[in-house]
Amino acid sequence: MTSLPIVKITDLDKYFGRLHVLKNINLEVPERQVVCLIGRSGSGKSTLLRCINFLEEPSRGAVEVDGIKVNTETKGRERHQLIHDVRLKTGMVFQEFNLFPHMTVLENVIEGPVTVKGIDRKQAIELAEQNLDSVGLLFKKDEYPLRLSGGQKQRVAIARALTMQPRVMLFDEPTSALDPELIGEVLNVMKKVAYEGMTMIVVTHEMGFAREVADRVIVMSEGKLIEDGEPEKIFNSPQDPRTESLLIRYKSGGG
Amino acid sequence: MTSATQQEASPSHAELLYQAQLRKERLFRAHVGVSWVILLLILIFLFSGQKIQIGQLEYQTIQLDSEFILKNLIFIAGGLGQTLLISILSISVAVTLALLAALGRLSNFPPIYAISAFYVSLIRGTPLYLQIFFFFLALPQLGINLSGVVAGVTALGLNYGAYMSETFRAGLSSVGKGQREAALALGMTSSQTMRRIVLPQALRFAIPPMGNDFISMTKDSALVSATGFVHELMWRAVKVGRAQFNNLEALIIAAMFYWALTLILTYFQSKLETRLAKGDR
Repeated sequence: MTSLPIVKITDLDKYFGRLHVLKNINLEVPERQVVCLIGRSGSGKSTLLRCINFLEEPSRGAVEVDGIKVNTETKGRERHQLIHDVRLKTGMVFQEFNLFPHMTVLENVIEGPVTVKGIDRKQAIELAEQNLDSVGLLFKKDEYPLRLSGGQKQRVAIARALTMQPRVMLFDEPTSALDPELIGEVLNVMKKVAYEGMTMIVVTHEMGFAREVADRVIVMSEGKLIEDGEPEKIFNSPQDPRTESLLIRYKSGGG
Repeated sequence: MTSATQQEASPSHAELLYQAQLRKERLFRAHVGVSWVILLLILIFLFSGQKIQIGQLEYQTIQLDSEFILKNLIFIAGGLGQTLLISILSISVAVTLALLAALGRLSNFPPIYAISAFYVSLIRGTPLYLQIFFFFLALPQLGINLSGVVAGVTALGLNYGAYMSETFRAGLSSVGKGQREAALALGMTSSQTMRRIVLPQALRFAIPPMGNDFISMTKDSALVSATGFVHELMWRAVKVGRAQFNNLEALIIAAMFYWALTLILTYFQSKLETRLAKGDR
């Protein structure tokens, strides 16, 4: 794990109005690492994830993705361009799927490559079909999202993000909006993506997934990273009492 | 295995309930249909000039001048084309303005935001009738002479555009924040996001109310007759009605045409709505 970091966050602060939601965050994620961000709701984990692709503007600090650095001093057109470049390097999967309802599954998946990257439609379809196949939904390619289950929607959303061939995938509570019986199929797809070597940052409440798939678990509380280490270490011998109480809550079925 | 037999029995029970409900709905629609026919017959009877004897008293329903009707029906019907033309032109102007005004309201640039809010406020704060006269009668004082049709279309377009911009605004805000975020996360620019993701969904949302607006427009176009230079339905009815003191007949003819037009357009409107509802939303 000596490879250069794909994501590097330096001295990042985020305010919502007067609320200080991220407090001086520093984080490096090397290539091929799977990181799970855990913490209570309101701890800032989703906001941190959304700062990486600038769906939230950091109030202060620098974000660097695959060598593209955006900090507070970057302004105007240059900033606009750099943020665009960062977004091309990141794929995002949302809690609420956010598939485009007016497009078929295939159209959803090729939209990015065709509109944003200007890839030839035929080539985009080929790529899209490969990814739909790998999430097991090629047979649904001509359906509209309305006709898919929540689990299927999320798998399409993963295929859509992968088809942009990002360097890092950001997952924002990808299974939190799903019925319990549909969570497994989405986690399995994520596992597959992880084993194929994708760098992943996953905000999740799925402790089983974190324990099994993550290389590293980071615990957040009140806008700070309070613990950071291998899942084994975090789950078996947490150092911070707040981590302990969080894990107890998960064990008792909360969260 | 009681649960298995229950499971087998329950679909047919549900089926029965469903059938009963369908019958009830069909019966209701049939009753409404019959009532419509009765009301229509009463209306026709009221204008049929029939004599009725009740005891000692003799009554007569309204007698229409059928000779006048036959002679002028074609002339008044000749206005349908103008009515539709004005409506179609005006709605095109209105949709364009409404879209611009609605997008203007999303702008972060204060002057653009202000222009669109100002336009909507000014137009909604004054009567349509006044606006039509303004373009036709007031502008010539400034040396701008618009024909009746141009003045009418300008006024109707501006007026409906202001109201419809609110519909578009609702359409735009009906598209969730998550849709924009998903598009931005893919790397789309904000204009690509608007064009490819937000607008198609917003327009679909706005199509049914736009249909309603078009139907209203066909009737509000009658106001343009006030300029005296647009020979649409209303103008023709007033012209022949006044000339021969047959305003009753003339206006009834015009009313029937407007009504028929509305019924036809409403039919297509409801077809469109069911198609949109069945679609992929």
